[in-house]
Amino acid sequence: MRIVVDLNRCQGYAQCCYAAPEHFELRGHEILFYDPAPPERERARIERAQQACPVRAISIEPADLAEQDEP
Amino acid sequence: MRSETLFSEVMDPKNRANPYPLYELFRQTPVAKQSDGSFVVSTHENIRTLLFDPRLSSEDLPPSRRPHTGNPIKDWILNPIKNRVVTAHRPFIFRDPPDHDTLRKFVMDEFTIQRVNDAHGRVESLVDEFIERCRGRSEVCLVEDLSYPLPVAVICDLLGVPEEDEPHFQRWATQLATALEPDARHDETGRHAIVAAFDEISAYMRKLIREKRRRPADDMLSRLAKPGNKRTPGMGDIDLIATGILLLVAGHETTVNLITNAMLTLLRNPDELEKLKADPERAPRLIEEVLRYEPPVHFRTRKATSPIDIDRVTIPAGAPVILLFAAANRDPARFANPDRFDPDRADNQHFGFGGGLHYCVGAPLARIEAEIALVTLCRRLREPRLMSDPPPYRSGASLRGPASLGIHINGIS
Repeated sequence: MRIVVDLNRCQGYAQCCYAAPEHFELRGHEILFYDPAPPERERARIERAQQACPVRAISIEPADLAEQDEP
Repeated sequence: MRSETLFSEVMDPKNRANPYPLYELFRQTPVAKQSDGSFVVSTHENIRTLLFDPRLSSEDLPPSRRPHTGNPIKDWILNPIKNRVVTAHRPFIFRDPPDHDTLRKFVMDEFTIQRVNDAHGRVESLVDEFIERCRGRSEVCLVEDLSYPLPVAVICDLLGVPEEDEPHFQRWATQLATALEPDARHDETGRHAIVAAFDEISAYMRKLIREKRRRPADDMLSRLAKPGNKRTPGMGDIDLIATGILLLVAGHETTVNLITNAMLTLLRNPDELEKLKADPERAPRLIEEVLRYEPPVHFRTRKATSPIDIDRVTIPAGAPVILLFAAANRDPARFANPDRFDPDRADNQHFGFGGGLHYCVGAPLARIEAEIALVTLCRRLREPRLMSDPPPYRSGASLRGPASLGIHINGIS
């Protein structure tokens, strides 16, 4: 699975960090760091983070798209 | 119906069970001036704009006023000082930047991911314990049996409030929460009752904080009460008391509605109840949809500090502004089939926890509590059915939710 966060939408509400702290981290209350390719077994948590986002900035895409992107 | 008096219809208890047709009328006049001079904003786009507008102030509570006692020292010296102190140290939900930001940061720094996620196990065992107590009965009173005691136990735990003290502040919490209701805050008796409850709960909180300083434990109050130093100053005592009270009241009066509204909605949509039972992973999207469809807080009020032009209307300086979140949550311009309960809807950008600077601090905790409560109720209650629909509602129009929710059951699994 591949995660894409629309950082123009993200306003730092940090709800994803509570839902999936291993994959989303807010540094300095503003800058979001996230794991773009978490393992499939983490799907439930990632979906929880996606659902909790107040501005709906997180999308989950299939992994094969990520592979296509690689050089 | 004229839009100028529509908000008094929203406040009318007879419309509590189903205010949504009124909200639909409101959206036809997205910024509606009321005959009392306030403005009601009801569409998604306008509320989103205003939530980020620094000209809208949250410092909209009328100044604190204690009733006349006949004792001249109290009436002319002590109470005016108390009134000024209380007015100047409102909890941060009623404050603007920069004070709001400073106070909120103190809380956010202690409301850590670890602290919130550590509550998980405790919530699970509490939910199981509360449901187990219903064994042998043919009906569950959801509010009394679970939706109220669960968030109360969780917030007391988190703050470090001794469980045996809890019954004292049930009444105070309910009274203070009426500060969110426009009718109570503008009525003289209502304001006096709010101040009286505030004085009593402050005295309690002051004692508790002193105790926490003497014997600090690993709870939020102990951490917040930690004295600061030159580089990182601590929170002042009066702000600390106000903050403690805010967290306690919020823990008593909001999540109860989320849990009850969620179960009510599931019982009205039995196919969704079955789906959740079969697949507990549906819970997060289901709860987000409840937050849109039947939110625990229907509106919040603000005050315009200078004139604001929005949607071809000018809101004058000083005017009260009501952000009708629950109406925006059903705005057809933002949500397809807004009156349909559909946990699978994409892009569910609701105002169930508000938005902007004042976004609910407790949201992650509320989500954990609601998710565990719902999944466990669906798994353990056999053949749950509503006893009456609609259920009786609490009096609040802003903090809206059932006063009780009777559910017939055929035993506990």
